Amino acid sequence: MATEIQEIDLKTDEMIINMGPQHPATHGVLRLLLTLDGETVKHTEPVLGHLHRGQEWQGQNRTWFQYQALIDRVDYLSGMFTSWAMARACEEIDGTVVPPRAEYLRVMVSEMNRITSHLLWLGTYLIDLGAMFGFPFYPFREREKLFDLFEEIAGQRMMFNYIRIGGVVRDPKPEWLDKLKRFLDEFPDRIDEYETIVTQNPIFLKRTKDVGILTQAVAKDYGVTGPCIRSSGIPLDLRRTKPYSVYPELKFDVITFDKEGDTWDRYMARILEMRQSIEIIRQCIDKLPSGDIMGKKQMAGMRIKAGEGFSAVESPRGILGCYVISGGGEKALRFRWRNPSFCNLAILPELLKGCPLSDIMAIFGSIDVILPDVDR
Amino acid sequence: MANLISRAFGGLNEVRRGLATVFKHTFREPITKNYPDEMPDLAPHFRGRLALTVNPETGDHLCISCKQCERVCPDKCIEITSHKSPETNKLELIDFKIDHGLCMFCGLCTEVCPTLCIINTNDFEMADYSRESLIYDLKKLTLSQDESAFYFDRKEMPLPKPKPAKPAPAAAAGAAAKPADAKPADAKPADAKPADADAKTVEVKKPEIKDDAKPEVKTEEAKADAKPEPKAETKPEAKTDEPKADEPKA
Repeated sequence: MATEIQEIDLKTDEMIINMGPQHPATHGVLRLLLTLDGETVKHTEPVLGHLHRGQEWQGQNRTWFQYQALIDRVDYLSGMFTSWAMARACEEIDGTVVPPRAEYLRVMVSEMNRITSHLLWLGTYLIDLGAMFGFPFYPFREREKLFDLFEEIAGQRMMFNYIRIGGVVRDPKPEWLDKLKRFLDEFPDRIDEYETIVTQNPIFLKRTKDVGILTQAVAKDYGVTGPCIRSSGIPLDLRRTKPYSVYPELKFDVITFDKEGDTWDRYMARILEMRQSIEIIRQCIDKLPSGDIMGKKQMAGMRIKAGEGFSAVESPRGILGCYVISGGGEKALRFRWRNPSFCNLAILPELLKGCPLSDIMAIFGSIDVILPDVDR
Repeated sequence: MANLISRAFGGLNEVRRGLATVFKHTFREPITKNYPDEMPDLAPHFRGRLALTVNPETGDHLCISCKQCERVCPDKCIEITSHKSPETNKLELIDFKIDHGLCMFCGLCTEVCPTLCIINTNDFEMADYSRESLIYDLKKLTLSQDESAFYFDRKEMPLPKPKPAKPAPAAAAGAAAKPADAKPADAKPADAKPADADAKTVEVKKPEIKDDAKPEVKTEEAKADAKPEPKAETKPEAKTDEPKADEPKA
């Protein structure tokens, strides 16, 4: 039908529309400059910087000890990973040996954090698609239980400040591990529940199948990482391709699909990742060694030897890198973050080209972008 | 046509399954709480409003105005006023102000406090009508004896040493509490090479404000009081070795 109209050579004007920054579905303050032809998106330009807080600059103006408390805010949904990236970069410079118990605890809390991040994504993504009934709160119910566990071990629900340079800050009690085990036992049933409601729902399939197909070439060109690239068939998972911490000792597979991924595949990749995280945490609990949890004394005037280091971890959104230059003093000379959200957002114009207006949020939501992570 | 019908029925079946799951939730126990009537059960280490404790047994204020918290605070929201008292020649606390409007509840001040004076309470209800009323002064911050006892018990913090001769040993008591259990084992192997250790401690000592103060005070105290704790028996030299003993581990 649409082609017929064009054949008649009906004159249409392009229209530029602002989407955001105050838009409920942009998960923060992203502004999209859309060039529309009728309902079809011709061109998209994400306008960034509404949430810039100078996180890197702040790192150079605070002591190591103070900045540790702040970096959970770089990506507020996966604070453990930002802490971990910085801690590993600093340990690399300093040559600190992290005790094995601390390494296992780090993996445990990070995988828990991955689950909470994906759960929030699942809930809000369904809202993006227009599912305004009770479902979005089902994932939040489980998320709340994990937050209670975080609160007990780290002190706060989202701004943990738990992983420090040299180890972790608090040893969990046996009861905490029991609670975690109980949660892990009931959680797979809950994921089944989400899947019953969502996965094969015809409306959900209509909105997501064959929408926003990310080809491997585009994914590679733009440096996409995380579930987005894995669902497109490239098995890039830092936990396997460049193993760090105790991941080599744990059994798990990289989740990839054979074909080039659409929005539904990205949904499925995250669901499978949650199931995988459960298995990883279970293995960690079984293997958890006893011993020290801190390899470097935590104090206000903590110093890191002079040098530079880079470390990357596999965060829920992709590869999160931290580059540090230390001059041997109490403060860093330079901080640089490689944020997965920023790189993943770059593919949005490619994915939106030729899409109808109503698919914008379905595609944007499926990339799982966190705006503070984009702007820092 | 047959394909369309089967797809339609398949779709309807999926919707039915989904709705059945949603419907099942009607009979589940609610997970929400009636918040103002029913307070949430918070973990002991929850980082809430900051407060100052007093000695749960004697009621003495634990703050020694060392200003560690003021220095470490990333938001600069703590302001301590103190003066040197002319009679006893030691610091006396005049006022302690915390601007909770600036505080980000990172809990760093509670980590560096040598006397476990400043703590994060489990109180989170601080909403107020103006920014000025979020600035808490000494009177508003200080907890009563019972509350202090409650938090010392709940957070499993070691109680301050009973009745110190002067306020300084109280600092040592708090600071020594953590490394105390690790130290006796570490001190022994380090005994062998004290000369080497001395050179190292000089460079390590500087950033360690907490540890720096401790060995001096501790040794004086150990000589004077001869306390029956394992640390008091070790010689001052062994004590200065401590950072060195940590180093190969790190």
